[in-house]
Amino acid sequence: MFTYLTILASEEGNGFWIPADIKEVIWGTLAFLIVVGLMVKLTKAPIAKYYNGRIETITEKLNEAEQARVEAESERDRVKAALADSETEKARIISEAESAAQVILAETESRAAADAEAVKQRAQADLVAARNQAQSDLSGELTRLSFGAAERVVEASLDDAAQQRLIDSYISQVGSQN
Amino acid sequence: MNNTVKAYAEAAFAIASAEGNLSEVEDELFRFGRILQSNDELRETLGNQRLPVERRQQIVEDLLDGKTTRSTMAIISLLVNVGRVADIPKIVDELVGRSARITGTQVAEVRSAVALSDDQIAKLTEALKARTNSDVTVRNIVDPKVMGGIVTQIGDSVLDGSVRTRLNQLRDAF
Repeated sequence: MFTYLTILASEEGNGFWIPADIKEVIWGTLAFLIVVGLMVKLTKAPIAKYYNGRIETITEKLNEAEQARVEAESERDRVKAALADSETEKARIISEAESAAQVILAETESRAAADAEAVKQRAQADLVAARNQAQSDLSGELTRLSFGAAERVVEASLDDAAQQRLIDSYISQVGSQN
Repeated sequence: MNNTVKAYAEAAFAIASAEGNLSEVEDELFRFGRILQSNDELRETLGNQRLPVERRQQIVEDLLDGKTTRSTMAIISLLVNVGRVADIPKIVDELVGRSARITGTQVAEVRSAVALSDDQIAKLTEALKARTNSDVTVRNIVDPKVMGGIVTQIGDSVLDGSVRTRLNQLRDAF
Protein backbone atom coordinates (compact mmCIF):
# COMPACT_ATOMS: atom_id res chain seq x y z
CA MET A 1 0.00 0.00 0.00
CA PHE A 2 2.74 2.33 1.00
CA THR A 3 4.63 1.26 -2.06
CA TYR A 4 1.65 2.06 -4.27
CA LEU A 5 1.20 5.43 -2.61
CA THR A 6 4.89 6.05 -3.04
CA ILE A 7 4.57 5.27 -6.75
CA LEU A 8 1.65 7.61 -7.04
CA ALA A 9 3.51 10.32 -5.18
CA SER A 10 6.51 9.93 -7.41
CA GLU A 11 4.49 10.50 -10.56
CA GLU A 12 4.22 13.92 -11.80
CA GLY A 13 1.02 15.73 -10.77
CA ASN A 14 -1.66 17.08 -13.10
CA GLY A 15 -2.27 20.20 -11.03
CA PHE A 16 -5.27 18.70 -9.13
CA TRP A 17 -5.37 16.66 -6.04
CA ILE A 18 -7.37 13.86 -7.75
CA PRO A 19 -5.46 11.91 -10.38
CA ALA A 20 -6.44 12.65 -13.92
CA ASP A 21 -6.87 9.01 -14.77
CA ILE A 22 -10.23 7.71 -13.50
CA LYS A 23 -9.00 4.17 -13.44
CA GLU A 24 -6.36 5.13 -11.15
CA VAL A 25 -8.97 6.62 -8.94
CA ILE A 26 -11.05 3.53 -9.07
CA TRP A 27 -8.19 1.18 -8.43
CA GLY A 28 -6.93 3.40 -5.78
CA THR A 29 -10.31 3.48 -4.16
CA LEU A 30 -10.70 -0.27 -4.44
CA ALA A 31 -7.30 -0.81 -3.06
CA PHE A 32 -8.10 1.52 -0.25
CA LEU A 33 -11.36 -0.21 0.51
CA ILE A 34 -9.68 -3.56 0.37
CA VAL A 35 -7.03 -2.41 2.76
CA VAL A 36 -9.66 -0.93 5.01
CA GLY A 37 -11.72 -4.05 4.82
CA LEU A 38 -8.74 -6.22 5.62
CA MET A 39 -7.84 -3.97 8.44
CA VAL A 40 -11.36 -4.09 9.79
CA LYS A 41 -11.53 -7.81 9.40
CA LEU A 42 -8.18 -8.41 10.97
CA THR A 43 -8.43 -5.91 13.82
CA LYS A 44 -12.16 -6.02 14.69
CA ALA A 45 -11.99 -9.09 16.91
CA PRO A 46 -8.91 -8.09 18.88
CA ILE A 47 -10.16 -4.55 19.27
CA ALA A 48 -13.58 -5.79 20.32
CA LYS A 49 -11.96 -8.22 22.62
CA TYR A 50 -9.76 -5.50 23.98
CA TYR A 51 -12.64 -3.15 24.49
CA ASN A 52 -14.82 -5.88 25.93
CA GLY A 53 -12.03 -6.77 28.34
CA ARG A 54 -11.59 -3.15 29.09
CA ILE A 55 -15.30 -2.78 29.74
CA GLU A 56 -15.28 -5.81 31.99
CA THR A 57 -12.28 -4.49 33.85
CA ILE A 58 -13.89 -1.11 34.28
CA THR A 59 -17.13 -2.77 35.30
CA GLU A 60 -15.27 -4.85 37.84
CA LYS A 61 -13.48 -1.77 39.06
CA LEU A 62 -16.78 0.00 39.28
CA ASN A 63 -18.28 -2.94 41.13
CA GLU A 64 -15.33 -3.04 43.44
CA ALA A 65 -15.61 0.67 43.94
CA GLU A 66 -19.32 0.26 44.64
CA GLN A 67 -18.57 -2.57 47.02
CA ALA A 68 -15.93 -0.48 48.70
CA ARG A 69 -18.36 2.39 48.90
CA VAL A 70 -20.99 0.15 50.41
CA GLU A 71 -18.51 -1.24 52.85
CA ALA A 72 -17.30 2.25 53.64
CA GLU A 73 -20.85 3.38 54.19
CA SER A 74 -21.44 0.33 56.35
CA GLU A 75 -18.30 1.08 58.33
CA ARG A 76 -19.36 4.69 58.56
CA ASP A 77 -22.74 3.60 59.86
CA ARG A 78 -21.08 1.22 62.29
CA VAL A 79 -18.75 3.93 63.48
CA LYS A 80 -21.66 6.32 63.73
CA ALA A 81 -23.57 3.73 65.70
CA ALA A 82 -20.55 3.08 67.86
CA LEU A 83 -20.18 6.79 68.38
CA ALA A 84 -23.84 7.00 69.19
CA ASP A 85 -23.39 4.05 71.59
CA SER A 86 -20.34 5.66 73.13
CA GLU A 87 -22.29 8.85 73.62
CA THR A 88 -25.02 6.85 75.27
CA GLU A 89 -22.48 4.98 77.37
CA LYS A 90 -20.79 8.23 78.24
CA ALA A 91 -24.11 9.72 79.25
CA ARG A 92 -24.91 6.60 81.29
CA ILE A 93 -21.52 6.64 83.01
CA ILE A 94 -21.85 10.34 83.73
CA SER A 95 -25.33 9.77 85.03
CA GLU A 96 -24.17 6.91 87.24
CA ALA A 97 -21.20 8.94 88.42
CA GLU A 98 -23.48 11.83 89.25
CA SER A 99 -25.82 9.50 91.12
CA ALA A 100 -22.92 7.92 92.98
CA ALA A 101 -21.55 11.37 93.74
CA GLN A 102 -24.93 12.41 95.10
CA VAL A 103 -25.10 9.29 97.27
CA ILE A 104 -21.54 9.78 98.50
CA LEU A 105 -22.19 13.44 99.14
CA ALA A 106 -25.34 12.62 101.05
CA GLU A 107 -23.57 9.90 103.05
CA THR A 108 -20.62 12.17 103.70
CA GLU A 109 -22.89 14.95 104.82
CA SER A 110 -24.82 12.55 107.00
CA ARG A 111 -21.65 11.07 108.48
CA ALA A 112 -20.12 14.50 108.98
CA ALA A 113 -23.26 15.61 110.73
CA ALA A 114 -23.21 12.50 112.92
CA ASP A 115 -19.53 12.96 113.65
CA ALA A 116 -20.08 16.61 114.46
CA GLU A 117 -22.93 15.67 116.76
CA ALA A 118 -20.81 13.00 118.45
CA VAL A 119 -17.94 15.46 118.88
CA LYS A 120 -20.37 17.97 120.28
CA GLN A 121 -21.80 15.39 122.69
CA ARG A 122 -18.33 14.34 123.79
CA ALA A 123 -17.28 17.95 124.22
CA GLN A 124 -20.36 18.62 126.29
CA ALA A 125 -19.72 15.51 128.37
CA ASP A 126 -16.08 16.52 128.81
CA LEU A 127 -17.20 19.99 129.75
CA VAL A 128 -19.60 18.64 132.35
CA ALA A 129 -16.94 16.23 133.66
CA ALA A 130 -14.35 19.01 133.75
CA ARG A 131 -16.79 21.29 135.54
CA ASN A 132 -17.67 18.57 138.04
CA GLN A 133 -13.99 17.76 138.52
CA ALA A 134 -13.19 21.45 138.99
CA GLN A 135 -16.04 21.76 141.48
CA SER A 136 -14.85 18.64 143.26
CA ASP A 137 -11.25 19.87 143.26
CA LEU A 138 -12.34 23.25 144.47
CA SER A 139 -14.50 21.69 147.13
CA GLY A 140 -11.63 19.41 148.16
CA GLU A 141 -9.22 22.32 148.22
CA LEU A 142 -11.66 24.41 150.23
CA THR A 143 -12.14 21.52 152.64
CA ARG A 144 -8.38 21.05 152.91
CA LEU A 145 -7.82 24.75 153.51
CA SER A 146 -10.71 24.92 155.95
CA PHE A 147 -9.48 21.95 157.92
CA GLY A 148 -5.91 23.20 157.75
CA ALA A 149 -7.09 26.45 159.30
CA ALA A 150 -9.29 24.60 161.78
CA GLU A 151 -6.35 22.37 162.70
CA ARG A 152 -4.17 25.39 163.37
CA VAL A 153 -6.90 26.99 165.47
CA VAL A 154 -7.40 23.77 167.44
CA GLU A 155 -3.65 23.33 167.85
CA ALA A 156 -3.29 26.89 169.12
CA SER A 157 -6.14 26.39 171.56
CA LEU A 158 -4.63 23.20 172.99
CA ASP A 159 -2.68 24.71 175.87
CA ASP A 160 -1.51 22.60 178.77
CA ALA A 161 -4.81 22.95 180.62
CA ALA A 162 -6.74 21.80 177.56
CA GLN A 163 -4.35 18.88 177.11
CA GLN A 164 -4.88 17.82 180.72
CA ARG A 165 -8.65 18.09 180.36
CA LEU A 166 -8.56 15.94 177.23
CA ILE A 167 -6.39 13.31 178.98
CA ASP A 168 -8.57 13.26 182.08
CA SER A 169 -11.69 13.06 179.92
CA TYR A 170 -10.20 10.12 178.01
CA ILE A 171 -9.27 8.29 181.21
CA SER A 172 -12.77 8.86 182.60
CA GLN A 173 -14.31 7.64 179.39
CA VAL A 174 -12.19 4.46 179.38
CA GLY A 175 -13.09 3.87 183.03
CA SER A 176 -16.79 4.48 182.47
CA GLN A 177 -17.01 1.99 179.63
CA ASN A 178 -16.10 -0.93 181.90
CA MET B 1 11.21 -12.35 164.68
CA ASN B 2 14.69 -13.77 164.24
CA ASN B 3 16.72 -15.62 166.82
CA THR B 4 19.26 -12.85 167.21
CA VAL B 5 16.57 -10.40 168.34
CA LYS B 6 15.20 -13.00 170.76
CA ALA B 7 18.69 -13.70 172.11
CA TYR B 8 19.39 -10.02 172.81
CA ALA B 9 15.92 -9.62 174.36
CA GLU B 10 16.62 -12.60 176.65
CA ALA B 11 19.98 -11.10 177.59
CA ALA B 12 18.39 -7.72 178.41
CA PHE B 13 15.67 -9.49 180.40
CA ALA B 14 18.29 -11.44 182.34
CA ILE B 15 20.36 -8.33 183.12
CA ALA B 16 17.32 -6.33 184.27
CA SER B 17 15.95 -9.24 186.31
CA ALA B 18 19.32 -9.80 187.95
CA GLU B 19 19.52 -6.13 188.83
CA GLY B 20 15.96 -6.26 190.22
CA ASN B 21 14.70 -3.30 188.17
CA LEU B 22 13.01 -5.06 185.27
CA SER B 23 10.01 -2.78 185.13
CA GLU B 24 12.10 0.36 185.21
CA VAL B 25 14.56 -0.92 182.60
CA GLU B 26 11.72 -2.10 180.45
CA ASP B 27 10.10 1.33 180.57
CA GLU B 28 13.33 3.15 179.80
CA LEU B 29 14.23 0.84 176.94
CA PHE B 30 10.71 1.18 175.59
CA ARG B 31 10.97 4.98 175.56
CA PHE B 32 14.43 4.88 174.02
CA GLY B 33 13.21 2.48 171.34
CA ARG B 34 10.34 4.78 170.40
CA ILE B 35 12.64 7.81 170.33
CA LEU B 36 14.99 5.88 168.07
CA GLN B 37 12.10 4.96 165.75
CA SER B 38 10.99 8.55 165.39
CA ASN B 39 14.44 10.15 165.16
CA ASP B 40 16.17 9.23 161.91
CA GLU B 41 19.27 11.29 162.63
CA LEU B 42 19.90 9.61 165.99
CA ARG B 43 19.27 6.17 164.51
CA GLU B 44 21.64 6.77 161.60
CA THR B 45 24.34 8.28 163.79
CA LEU B 46 24.33 5.45 166.32
CA GLY B 47 24.18 2.88 163.51
CA ASN B 48 26.95 4.49 161.45
CA GLN B 49 29.75 1.90 161.33
CA ARG B 50 32.23 4.48 160.03
CA LEU B 51 32.04 6.35 163.32
CA PRO B 52 34.30 4.84 166.01
CA VAL B 53 32.29 2.79 168.44
CA GLU B 54 33.72 4.80 171.32
CA ARG B 55 32.26 7.95 169.78
CA ARG B 56 28.84 6.34 169.41
CA GLN B 57 28.91 5.06 172.97
CA GLN B 58 29.88 8.50 174.16
CA ILE B 59 26.78 9.88 172.41
CA VAL B 60 24.63 7.32 174.24
CA GLU B 61 26.18 8.26 177.56
CA ASP B 62 25.70 11.96 176.90
CA LEU B 63 22.06 11.37 176.04
CA LEU B 64 21.14 9.03 178.88
CA ASP B 65 23.51 9.90 181.71
CA GLY B 66 21.50 10.61 184.84
CA LYS B 67 18.22 9.90 183.06
CA THR B 68 18.22 6.11 183.08
CA THR B 69 19.43 3.29 185.25
CA ARG B 70 22.89 1.88 184.73
CA SER B 71 21.34 -1.35 183.50
CA THR B 72 19.48 0.47 180.72
CA MET B 73 22.60 2.35 179.69
CA ALA B 74 24.66 -0.87 179.72
CA ILE B 75 22.15 -2.68 177.52
CA ILE B 76 21.94 0.16 175.00
CA SER B 77 25.74 0.54 174.97
CA LEU B 78 26.04 -3.20 174.32
CA LEU B 79 23.63 -3.03 171.38
CA VAL B 80 25.42 0.00 169.92
CA ASN B 81 28.76 -1.74 170.39
CA VAL B 82 27.67 -4.85 168.46
CA GLY B 83 26.01 -2.82 165.69
CA ARG B 84 22.40 -3.73 166.57
CA VAL B 85 21.01 -0.20 166.74
CA ALA B 86 18.46 -0.84 164.00
CA ASP B 87 17.15 -3.85 165.96
CA ILE B 88 16.69 -2.01 169.26
CA PRO B 89 12.92 -1.36 168.79
CA LYS B 90 12.33 -5.04 167.94
CA ILE B 91 14.49 -6.20 170.85
CA VAL B 92 12.58 -3.90 173.20
CA ASP B 93 9.23 -5.16 171.89
CA GLU B 94 10.39 -8.74 172.42
CA LEU B 95 11.63 -7.88 175.92
CA VAL B 96 8.34 -6.20 176.85
CA GLY B 97 6.35 -9.10 175.41
CA ARG B 98 8.45 -11.64 177.26
CA SER B 99 8.10 -9.74 180.52
CA ALA B 100 4.33 -9.42 180.01
CA ARG B 101 4.00 -13.14 179.36
CA ILE B 102 6.00 -14.03 182.47
CA THR B 103 4.19 -11.60 184.75
CA GLY B 104 0.79 -12.21 183.14
CA THR B 105 0.35 -8.55 182.24
CA GLN B 106 -0.50 -6.75 179.04
CA VAL B 107 1.41 -3.76 177.77
CA ALA B 108 -0.63 -0.74 176.80
CA GLU B 109 1.18 1.61 174.46
CA VAL B 110 -0.23 5.03 175.27
CA ARG B 111 0.51 7.91 172.92
CA SER B 112 -0.20 11.47 173.97
CA ALA B 113 0.87 14.94 172.89
CA VAL B 114 2.15 15.70 176.37
CA ALA B 115 3.59 13.32 178.96
CA LEU B 116 1.07 11.79 181.35
CA SER B 117 1.56 12.45 185.03
CA ASP B 118 2.08 9.52 187.41
CA ASP B 119 -1.42 10.04 188.70
CA GLN B 120 -2.89 9.95 185.21
CA ILE B 121 -0.88 6.81 184.38
CA ALA B 122 -2.14 5.14 187.55
CA LYS B 123 -5.75 6.04 186.79
CA LEU B 124 -5.44 4.90 183.19
CA THR B 125 -3.79 1.66 184.29
CA GLU B 126 -6.70 0.96 186.63
CA ALA B 127 -9.23 1.79 183.94
CA LEU B 128 -7.50 -0.50 181.45
CA LYS B 129 -7.17 -3.30 184.02
CA ALA B 130 -10.90 -3.13 184.63
CA ARG B 131 -11.57 -3.09 180.93
CA THR B 132 -9.33 -6.05 180.04
CA ASN B 133 -9.66 -8.01 183.30
CA SER B 134 -5.89 -8.41 183.39
CA ASP B 135 -2.83 -6.66 184.72
CA VAL B 136 -1.77 -3.83 182.47
CA THR B 137 1.51 -1.98 182.20
CA VAL B 138 1.21 1.45 180.61
CA ARG B 139 4.02 2.69 178.40
CA ASN B 140 3.56 6.35 177.70
CA ILE B 141 4.99 7.76 174.47
CA VAL B 142 4.95 11.48 173.75
CA ASP B 143 3.87 11.91 170.16
CA PRO B 144 3.08 15.44 168.89
CA LYS B 145 1.15 13.95 165.96
CA VAL B 146 -1.62 13.05 168.40
CA MET B 147 -2.23 16.82 168.90
CA GLY B 148 -4.35 16.24 171.99
CA GLY B 149 -5.98 13.41 173.92
CA ILE B 150 -4.65 9.84 173.96
CA VAL B 151 -4.31 6.83 171.67
CA THR B 152 -3.97 3.53 173.50
CA GLN B 153 -2.99 0.29 171.85
CA ILE B 154 -3.34 -2.82 173.99
CA GLY B 155 -2.91 -6.08 172.16
CA ASP B 156 -4.88 -5.77 168.95
CA SER B 157 -7.28 -3.18 170.35
CA VAL B 158 -6.90 0.55 169.77
CA LEU B 159 -8.74 3.09 171.90
CA ASP B 160 -8.41 6.30 169.95
CA GLY B 161 -9.39 9.51 171.75
CA SER B 162 -6.99 11.81 169.91
CA VAL B 163 -7.81 15.23 168.52
CA ARG B 164 -5.97 14.23 165.33
CA THR B 165 -8.32 11.32 164.70
CA ARG B 166 -11.40 13.44 165.39
CA LEU B 167 -10.21 16.05 162.91
CA ASN B 168 -9.54 13.34 160.35
CA GLN B 169 -13.00 11.86 160.88
CA LEU B 170 -14.54 15.28 160.46
CA ARG B 171 -12.57 15.82 157.26
CA ASP B 172 -13.59 12.41 155.91
CA ALA B 173 -17.24 13.22 156.64
CA PHE B 174 -16.97 16.04 154.11
